[in-house]
Amino acid sequence: MPDDPQIWIQILLGYIHDLSIAVYLGGAVAMEFVLGPAQTSIPPAQAQVMGQKTSDRFLWLAWGSLILILITGALRLERLDMLNVTWPFFESPLSLSESYGRTVGTMFVLWCVLAINGALVTFRFRPRLAGKIAPGTSAAQVTSNQAGRIAAATWIQRLTRADLAITVVVALLGASLKWGGLL
Amino acid sequence: MDTLLAALHAVAWAVYVGGSITMEWVLRYAQRTMPPSQVGVVCKNAGTRYRWFALASLLVIGATGLLMLLRLDGPELATRPGSPELTLSDSYGRTMLLLAAGWFALLATVSAMAFWLHPAQRKRSRPDMTAEAIAAERQRIGRAIKHMDFALKFELVVSVLCIGIAASLRTGGLI
Repeated sequence: MPDDPQIWIQILLGYIHDLSIAVYLGGAVAMEFVLGPAQTSIPPAQAQVMGQKTSDRFLWLAWGSLILILITGALRLERLDMLNVTWPFFESPLSLSESYGRTVGTMFVLWCVLAINGALVTFRFRPRLAGKIAPGTSAAQVTSNQAGRIAAATWIQRLTRADLAITVVVALLGASLKWGGLL
Repeated sequence: MDTLLAALHAVAWAVYVGGSITMEWVLRYAQRTMPPSQVGVVCKNAGTRYRWFALASLLVIGATGLLMLLRLDGPELATRPGSPELTLSDSYGRTMLLLAAGWFALLATVSAMAFWLHPAQRKRSRPDMTAEAIAAERQRIGRAIKHMDFALKFELVVSVLCIGIAASLRTGGLI
């Protein structure tokens, strides 16, 4: 067992970072390829309730993971003396002139894309799916509402698949850091 | 090649561990509000799909892990933090062995779920069954569900621990 507390902190940060990535990527795979198809085996009304419950719960997991990935990632870089709170913030090899820096920079940009996609799903498309039809709504409004819901569901599916592809790319970039980066 | 193997290994672990956490945290939560008959249908459907995903991920983890182990270069390993060695006299080697044991335990558990516990939950009813036979059948299914529940929790705990054990390898090992 390591007796240096600094090593324990390093292990703990690495553990939380890896576990968060696993929850985000594995959770998205399970939602898309396991729970999604399972929903089709029950009546549509119940499937909608199940879809709403599973998505609500998964969004908490996904946001928690995304935030932990960023925090633990930054802390790990700081502990490797590559990142600090004083100007110019980035130390070698975290500059864009080096492969390591470009790879970490790309990973950060992709993290931002995941966060934007997550925000779109949470604050724009999910509320459209959850909207209820008030009594006295006209047939035209119901049709338009339904079209809006179908469009929102399609967008959520597209964004989820894009997130999956991005996360796999991030995993590849992350794995390459051990050998100095990929880009 | 090393990067590709490491990425495949990481993605397979992520799919497996993230999937088991999602099944426990998300599916179980959603089941609470569902009628029991539909819980059975969803569980059967999701469970069957998840087992194959889990088995495939574990096989990828095993294959890529073994290849990575074979490609480990002793002198290169010694340059890493803590100058680790792949022997049982060093923490790195012992941690690697513990991780391999964890992988075997997970493979055995998921195989048991796929080929024994999941099929055991199927109800076998015949028109000529007596009341005692029906009660015994119900008890058998109840036991199978309990075993499955235990296996799922064991799998979740071991898989989450394996991530921690693997994370410690970067600093030279844990035990």
